[in-house]
Amino acid sequence: MAARGRCPECGSASLVEDAHYAQQQLVCAACGCVLSEGLLTTTYTDEEHLREVAYSQSTGQKEQLSRCLQRGIRRVQDLCKVLKLPAAFEETAVSYFQRALELPAFHLVSLEKKELLGGCCVLVTCRQRRWPLTMGTVCSLLYAKQELFASVFLSLQRELGLSVPALSLADLVTTHLSSFRLLQPSANIPAPFLEDKEQLVARTMAIVELASDTWLVTGRHPVPVVTAAAFLAWQSLRPGPRLSCPLARFCRLAGVELPPPAQLRLKELLEILLAMASQLSWLRAFRLDKRTVVKHVGDLLQHRLFLLKRAFSQQDGLEQQDTGLGDSPAQGPPSSPAVPQQQGCPSAGQQQQRGTLRPLLPPCLLQPRKRLRAAAPSAAGAAVTGDEPISDSEIEQYLRSPEEIRAFRKAKAWS
Amino acid sequence: FKDDFSTSPHLFTPMSPYDLELPIQASSQLSQSKELHTDFSSVDLSFLPDVTQDNKEQNLSEDGQETQKELDGSLPSKEDSGVFMGESSLSHPGAAQPSPEAPGVCPPLTPMTPITPATSASESSGIVPQLQNIVSTVNLACKLDLKNIALHARNAEYNPKRFAAVIMRIREPRTTALIFSSGKMVCTGAKSEEQSRLAARKYARVVQKLGFPAKFLDFKIQNMVGSCDVRFPIRLEGLVLTHQQFSSYEPELFPGLVYRMVKPRIVLLIFVSGKVVLTGAKDRSEIYEAFENIYPILRGFKKPS
Repeated sequence: MAARGRCPECGSASLVEDAHYAQQQLVCAACGCVLSEGLLTTTYTDEEHLREVAYSQSTGQKEQLSRCLQRGIRRVQDLCKVLKLPAAFEETAVSYFQRALELPAFHLVSLEKKELLGGCCVLVTCRQRRWPLTMGTVCSLLYAKQELFASVFLSLQRELGLSVPALSLADLVTTHLSSFRLLQPSANIPAPFLEDKEQLVARTMAIVELASDTWLVTGRHPVPVVTAAAFLAWQSLRPGPRLSCPLARFCRLAGVELPPPAQLRLKELLEILLAMASQLSWLRAFRLDKRTVVKHVGDLLQHRLFLLKRAFSQQDGLEQQDTGLGDSPAQGPPSSPAVPQQQGCPSAGQQQQRGTLRPLLPPCLLQPRKRLRAAAPSAAGAAVTGDEPISDSEIEQYLRSPEEIRAFRKAKAWS
Repeated sequence: FKDDFSTSPHLFTPMSPYDLELPIQASSQLSQSKELHTDFSSVDLSFLPDVTQDNKEQNLSEDGQETQKELDGSLPSKEDSGVFMGESSLSHPGAAQPSPEAPGVCPPLTPMTPITPATSASESSGIVPQLQNIVSTVNLACKLDLKNIALHARNAEYNPKRFAAVIMRIREPRTTALIFSSGKMVCTGAKSEEQSRLAARKYARVVQKLGFPAKFLDFKIQNMVGSCDVRFPIRLEGLVLTHQQFSSYEPELFPGLVYRMVKPRIVLLIFVSGKVVLTGAKDRSEIYEAFENIYPILRGFKKPS
């Protein structure tokens, strides 16, 4: 074939391609010097032409991990490292991921979904080991859309048949508060705002428990509840300088996001506290409002169980006996069981007369939204047999007249 | 979703003013055969306490159970029909119902007995889920020109770039249909099986009048959605703990608890306010049965822990 250079030994230009035991060699025709041998072709086309054994068959590629799987596993491992999870979590998450990716439901989905799948596996692992990781955190780490994440999470749960325990609020409190920057001295935090972590956590936990007892937590997103509770706890631990600080500023100082529902949760919590405060005899003298009640949160939490029973009417009319916490008998009999009202009740401010008590119900029942649609169809609808004769006139009302059709044709140019 | 029977007498009382439906269990498989009713249009059967004679005769098809009754608001008004136009029968095509109408779904008194054999009043809930939506399919058995239909019909919309079917609506029964070029049709929005069938027939008639040889084959109810209110708040966190294998409660995603009942195979959405939505039923009795199954479970979570 065409000479490619000269033989280094004899300088001859006649180079020949030869095969020695089927190994290609470039040999000088004059002196027999072998210039190069064993040129393994590197081009795909050459390999194809030679019909060698396919790569996947010879190397057992099927048993190896696919590139996609490798990438996914790396992602899961990175997530675990970022979240500083224990090593055992990583193994479990990776095993879930591998199992999931084999299933047809996840094998052919988009790459975006496969990334979310990795995040979901981490989330499931954390939930099962009672590590309080919220979906919001995982979504923000993966830059994921909440709806897409939700659907992947639910289908993962279904396909793998995993039982995923609920997020524990108590653990969430601890984790969430540990990210607050108000717990360590820092340049932009005034001294009176600094708070001890243990105390803050303990009081926040108590307020969160109170919230879950009074139906403020069921069905709601947990993080705003924790944020509002933390704010209340922080304010109540040192009300003097802190009362004037609004929730938004508190979150900014703490370095956490203010979730929009947190304001509503705060309002609801304060209402509950006010209702409870009206039952404490030594607080009745003060005309407490939403701001001043914060000063007495400590007392209210201490007698929480008793106050809850007293401050709210019972659903089924059961009245708890007065266990008496310094309550003067002159207050009169407790509100009668006939009183509990299911509709919106008067606010806590009127409870000084021990009149009607607000029932202990979820806020959605206390403030029902206006119904947009009536629930019931007509009675005559029930009389329909399904086989009634259908009049022509009724059907014809749905058909266009020829003039209309002409007009439409002109206007829309139906092709 | 109001519970209509909060003020009505207990369901087992024969004095119910509502006419009866009897979804006999055996009939649930046979939804194809439809027997024509004898016409009771002028007879007020509301005084009848129990299963009527014609119900006994119509023991095949569940659809043909109801008899017609008086339409002019002689029934105690329970609900404001609001947006819903009068569902009067065809003998009063234009008449709007003068008074607020009672719920269209009749409380089946007797189906309680096959499902809950114990007749003690305290065991049954006394609440009947109301049907809110029925999805059905039917085969018109002819190829359709959707552009033609969209041009010639007033109540049709067709946007082939968005969806490959004509969306047609009729006012009574207030429903929506998706009509595909293969001749298959999906009818949604009806509040009872009979209404769904009537609506599907009306759509088929419209297609016929547009010049296509439409038939009415294989009418089948595909899904039924019901809702009701148990009237007390529910501790969803507790429910998900005790019924973990059936429930899914993720407050970060959705405020309600999703309960997948195995028998009957129904999905229930349970909310903290006590409202329950039941879906996935092919037959009305499945919804009732599912609710009767879930009610004692929910009662267990009534009081705050």
